[in-house]
Amino acid sequence: MIRFELVSLGGVKFSDDVYEILLPTLDGQIGVLPDHMPLISAATHGVVSVRHNANDRDDMMDHFAISGGVVEVVNNTLRVLVDEADHADEISEAEAQKAFELAHKMKAEAKDQVSLEHAQSLVDRSAVRLQVAGLKRRHRR
Amino acid sequence: MANTITLKRRIGSVRNTRQITKAMELVAASKMRKAQEYALAGRTYRQFAYSLLTRLSAITEVGEHPLFVSRPVKNRLYIVVTSNGTLAGAYNANIIRLLTRRVLADQKAGIKTKAIAVGKQGAKFARRVEGIDLIAAYTEIPDHPEANDIRSILNTAIELFRDVLIDDVSILYTQFKSNLVQEATSLSLLPARFENTEEENSLNNTTFEPSIDVVLDNVAERLLEVQVWQALLESLASEHSMRMMAMKNATDNASDIIDDLTLAFNTARQAAITQELAEITGGAEAMK
Repeated sequence: MIRFELVSLGGVKFSDDVYEILLPTLDGQIGVLPDHMPLISAATHGVVSVRHNANDRDDMMDHFAISGGVVEVVNNTLRVLVDEADHADEISEAEAQKAFELAHKMKAEAKDQVSLEHAQSLVDRSAVRLQVAGLKRRHRR
Repeated sequence: MANTITLKRRIGSVRNTRQITKAMELVAASKMRKAQEYALAGRTYRQFAYSLLTRLSAITEVGEHPLFVSRPVKNRLYIVVTSNGTLAGAYNANIIRLLTRRVLADQKAGIKTKAIAVGKQGAKFARRVEGIDLIAAYTEIPDHPEANDIRSILNTAIELFRDVLIDDVSILYTQFKSNLVQEATSLSLLPARFENTEEENSLNNTTFEPSIDVVLDNVAERLLEVQVWQALLESLASEHSMRMMAMKNATDNASDIIDDLTLAFNTARQAAITQELAEITGGAEAMK
């Protein structure tokens, strides 16, 4: 087992011993299993998935939507520092969908570089949230 | 009788005011508790970021990183945290006084001042004062800020610092020392600083992805972010706490006024009765 700690500005979001964690980093998605070698990496916005036990099926995984952050693996502990982390259960799909559309609208209407960048970051953020909310729905079936 | 009627009216109006201030006091108290909890939650994050930076500094020259370079200060940026509303005691006045003092000192030293204002009160002041170049005002920060709300403040500051348009960034906020003590404080954000402790170097055989520079960038920004975040939340907690105290004082004061007015009212009423009695007995005496 490997210890997984997910820390956001709003507090500790997850802290437990788990079997596997899938993370989005700047170089692509990585999977972290117990006894991973020491690693420090930069996370990007995306979905963090946690498999609690080796035999858990994919639909039993926990999912978090994260924005960029820092990832550290040391002494069989994975620490992820992120601005925000929302568990799938905390996101309503309808709201995420609305935010996603609004962000796209803002991007289309952006007049200067600054507001365009702002809109783009909102688009990225809401896209991830929407994705996580969608994952949750699939599991209910 | 006219006197007693006006007194009665005044008592009524003060009583209404007391009800309002009492309500505002209770609202502020509950908001303060929430803000305090929120501020505490960010602590773990800061500890992790610091410890990571300290360990990074052991294996790489952090001092050469663009965000850590200190250079002679010619342009200074203040992030000024105030509230949107008033009626919070000396909350805004304290920050504005601190800002004024800083700006005067900078002017003497030939340093140009730029400001980013958080909250309407600070923005109003900075706009009015000569010698402060207000580059942005954020008046839409909610009671429960999310990381997204402070993103653009940070990005602006970091960009200006990287482009050498400013050489120093400080945040002026109200430190929440306890429920009773809050202090306007200045915290230096950029150039970023770290404590060089001789911790055992556990990063020697660590892999960095994509590279150590990118990671360092990321960690430095996280650290800044958490500092701004903490300052913002402490300010929020302070604001509510000071508003609560101000409203409590107002409520107490209203109670005192009501007591005084009631006493005056009773005296006036008693005087009227006495006078009436005197008139009746006077009349009865005259009839004899």
